[in-house]
Amino acid sequence: MQGSSLKRKRPDNVPSSVSLTDAERVLYNVIQGKRDLGIWSKEMKEETNLPDNVVRKALASLQVKKLIKEVVNCQNKAKKHYIASEFKPSKEITGGDWYSEGNLDKDFIEIVKDVFLKIIFIQKVATVDGILEWVKKNHAFHVELTSHQIEEILQALVLDDQIIEMESTGFGEFASVPAGRVCYRCKNKRGPKGEPKIGAMASIPCGVCPRISSCTPDGIISPRTCVYYQKWLDF
Amino acid sequence: MATQYGIKFAVHLITNHFGNLVAKVCECLLRRGPLTFEQLSRFTELTKDQVKNSLLVLVQHNCVQAFILEQEGREGSKVNAQYLALFDNILHRLRFPKFLEIVSQDLDEECVELLEGLLRDGRLTLKQMVDRASQRKENAVALDVVQESLHKLLMLRYAERCPSPEPVISPPVDLDTKKRGAKSKIAEEPETIEYRVLEAAMPAEGIRFYLTASSELINNSDIYPGRGVGENVAREDSMLFRANFEEFVRRRRHKVLVENVRTAHDDGAAIVLGAVLDATRNAEKKVKMEKSVPLTLDAIFTEVQKTEIGLAMTMERVRSSLVLLGCTQRTFDAPYSIELNKIIESARDEEVESIVLKRYGTDAYRMFRLLSKTGRLLETDKIAESTFVEKRDTPKILYKLWKDDYLHMEKLVLTGARQLKFLLWKVNKPILWERVLDEMYHAALNLSLRLAYEQEKDGELLAVPKDKIVGQLQKRYKRLRNSWLLLESSLMKLDDTLMLFHDF
Repeated sequence: MQGSSLKRKRPDNVPSSVSLTDAERVLYNVIQGKRDLGIWSKEMKEETNLPDNVVRKALASLQVKKLIKEVVNCQNKAKKHYIASEFKPSKEITGGDWYSEGNLDKDFIEIVKDVFLKIIFIQKVATVDGILEWVKKNHAFHVELTSHQIEEILQALVLDDQIIEMESTGFGEFASVPAGRVCYRCKNKRGPKGEPKIGAMASIPCGVCPRISSCTPDGIISPRTCVYYQKWLDF
Repeated sequence: MATQYGIKFAVHLITNHFGNLVAKVCECLLRRGPLTFEQLSRFTELTKDQVKNSLLVLVQHNCVQAFILEQEGREGSKVNAQYLALFDNILHRLRFPKFLEIVSQDLDEECVELLEGLLRDGRLTLKQMVDRASQRKENAVALDVVQESLHKLLMLRYAERCPSPEPVISPPVDLDTKKRGAKSKIAEEPETIEYRVLEAAMPAEGIRFYLTASSELINNSDIYPGRGVGENVAREDSMLFRANFEEFVRRRRHKVLVENVRTAHDDGAAIVLGAVLDATRNAEKKVKMEKSVPLTLDAIFTEVQKTEIGLAMTMERVRSSLVLLGCTQRTFDAPYSIELNKIIESARDEEVESIVLKRYGTDAYRMFRLLSKTGRLLETDKIAESTFVEKRDTPKILYKLWKDDYLHMEKLVLTGARQLKFLLWKVNKPILWERVLDEMYHAALNLSLRLAYEQEKDGELLAVPKDKIVGQLQKRYKRLRNSWLLLESSLMKLDDTLMLFHDF
């Protein structure tokens, strides 16, 4: 913002009963202007050219007056990030539905994944609607999950190679799902304990070697001198 | 042209089988492309006799094909003969035990022995086959016995007549190789000089898999152009036969397709695909068929019923398996064609994902799979959300994958009230697969070299009588045997993956 920091730049939603100092008003306008993205305190200082102590005092006062709130920025928890009270912080700041206090709630995600895997294993084939119904009926979690959130977790399980997404054939084990509808089933595993198949290249030292680009038949790093090969063969 | 380590591995195989001189000639052809005899002598700095003998060995063993490039204004002459190294056939030398196994499943021991001779000696006349069989049995073997075995191999296309020794091809119209420089060799099959030479050299369809050409065909000047009938009859007597690598590669491809479908879906889908491929094998115009040859549901059902487990399958089950294989619902009469390329692509994806998981961990694996499945550019935060990785950790992981060429990255800058920078990521499959293939050739070479080293190191143990191998010696012997087994089996398993990326 250019010009005098004492000038009001835009109208605000401050109730007439609440009085603000000039610095508070300027800062509040900046914060409110960023809507659901909010703004980092350092960026505010740069935009308003207000001294440090003035900004600090004004922000504290605005918080007490419940006009702004501090939110945790998932990209950098150390940065103090402020948002006008009437806005819900955007996904860019919070991280999204699965974030709590700026951290990904990994424990909860694993629990949900586990439950969904068990449902699909028991039912053999499941749909998003089917899982949603089961979750609601059994009050499986302390929060209500939406269809979109269920789908996000199922897609994560697909990426983990635990389940496959496919279209129902309407026949055999797919008989309960209308033909053409998207559904999910457990992936067939190869190993006796159900572990996924390891590729040929990944099974040998060269396949995972960090030095393969430096390795040559007669070089300092070579198959004859390779320590990884030595370890691999000394079983 | 093959990849850098593809060439090194091919040269290594030739060195092991035929020695350094032959390998030097072979390497020169692999690196420089087709050359005349004069050029070869000059580049290899070998004597004319050494070059000639090396070429004879390489041609005998189907690793080199000669050809004549037609020149404007005059007919091609022997002077213009060029020699083309056949990279694929050189690599097939690693697979001879696998080819023999295929034949042993379908045919009797005599056929297996006959094929073994063809593989060992490169190419043989019928007389040479009889002599060889008689030597093995230490008794004269009748001509008709050997003929019968050869006939069986020809009928199943495991053997074929040798190609024309020096086919004539016209010069390429517009190569424009510079434009294709950046593109991958895996993704497309342009008409390379190799393709044109092999097509021109191939015996006509009417005689390629026949023991004796009919007199009508012998009289037909198209089969042996510019030659008289008498000469053609003499040629028939000295006709050379060889193993048909193309058919073995096709069989392996079919096996891999069926096994992948069995793992991805179920036995039913595997049986249906297997039946389709068995029925249409001889109708496939090339090995790398994108889709299966179309068949009606009735024809597929008939084929399925011929198998032991397929006997119990209903028409409805067969139709549902076809849907699982990606064929959309159709009317009764419309033919079905299964997308084979998709199954191969899926198998390649799994192999590369396995490497990413082992090298970079679970989070990177999920990100790579997301980008691989999506097939388009995705922004960093979007990747973090879809893979449930902390947003602040995601850029580091993506950067590591990009640095090692697993991902392609683009920067997007949006200018407005504030300048916003985004990083977009993508998997470029054709380029990545080619890089992975080169690394696999490197790994295959390493396995082979290490095996040779282990054998060298403790080879004297093999000379020790078994009853003398006790105590510490026994421990060393056990380690040696286990190392050899592990290295050999790993090489064979890796070779299956080389075929997956290069031949299928």
